[in-house]
Amino acid sequence: MLYNVHFGIYVDVAMPVEDKSKSLLPFLSSPKLLPDESEAEFQSGLQSLLSELDNPSPLAVALVSQLNECLWWIRRHTVDKELLLHEAMARLLSKAGNHWDTYDNHKVSEALERYFNGSADKDEAALIDEILAESKLTLSDLRVRAFKDAARHIKMVDDLIHRQHQTMRHLQRSIDSIDYKSRLIKRMDLELAALESKQPVKGALTLDAKPS
Amino acid sequence: MTQNLRRNLANRCNALKSTGPKSVAGKRASSQNSRKHGLNSAPDFESSSEYRALVELIAEEGFSAFVCADIASSLLNYRRVMDAYYDTYTSPEPVDEFLRDANVKASNPIFSELLSPSGSEPQDVREMAAFFASMQRQERRKGGPVSRRSADTHKLIRYQRNAIARLSSAVRQG
Repeated sequence: MLYNVHFGIYVDVAMPVEDKSKSLLPFLSSPKLLPDESEAEFQSGLQSLLSELDNPSPLAVALVSQLNECLWWIRRHTVDKELLLHEAMARLLSKAGNHWDTYDNHKVSEALERYFNGSADKDEAALIDEILAESKLTLSDLRVRAFKDAARHIKMVDDLIHRQHQTMRHLQRSIDSIDYKSRLIKRMDLELAALESKQPVKGALTLDAKPS
Repeated sequence: MTQNLRRNLANRCNALKSTGPKSVAGKRASSQNSRKHGLNSAPDFESSSEYRALVELIAEEGFSAFVCADIASSLLNYRRVMDAYYDTYTSPEPVDEFLRDANVKASNPIFSELLSPSGSEPQDVREMAAFFASMQRQERRKGGPVSRRSADTHKLIRYQRNAIARLSSAVRQG
């Protein structure tokens, strides 16, 4: 069944970090996956993001794992938009059929899902065609009406996706700031080393002393 | 079917007469009924071992003690919000299929039968039917499981916004 997802299995994702003793991740709760999601895909996304870090400090790795979770949430919410449309279409069809006594008929929903996938058997295809004919609707009409009905909830899902994008921007800026800071420290160390190497050995302690 | 409908309606009518829990334990349990995600309560990260470990690890990156503490608590707070986000998303309010699918007009005779022992008048039956219909409208407006979980998760947007803004500002001020 497409939209009756049963939740219950919580998959803890262990974050791969090169030096685990220096990682912040064991002290933070891990992002969880839904039962039908691939852990390998999640990990490969995380690894590809981590590979883009020049200097993966523990804090930067922790922030990148949050960024990967945001990407995952965007995927989930994008699927939800389609599911909302499906839910609304199934409801409209259930109401349109003369002989349906329930508000949201699971049989119609499943038949419609397989109808769109192209895997519907003869009876299911006939059922959907019959209801569409009874209600004088085409599939595109049905989709338009469903979109109108579900607009309020689709807007909510759009807000959720937008929020994840905003969160990613914040995380990206934080990662950039850590990267910039580490580069700055490295540069200052190098400049200091260069200055020290220019001084005579005895004058190392008189770096700031003005010549008299 | 009619028996089921009658039993369900009788249960709902009797539930309306309930005056709530009597025992202390019952009252304590029901006081938590409206608790949704717990994000409005003030967290106490400072006393946790995770917090201390995070502060030590972040300090190794050259942040000052004050900034380390700020980043650690912001990170824990962000994770708390994201855990609540996941929990809300995966356990939406269940659809009350009986209420959603019930035929209110067909229930009128059952309402009058249920209310007759208390000497009720047709007006009472009409009020009961109207009340039932309004509950059904509310239930239908909430939509199916996907609509519900979207609406429930949408309520957590502001917590996520505040948590990430706090985390980002803590990291950048360091």
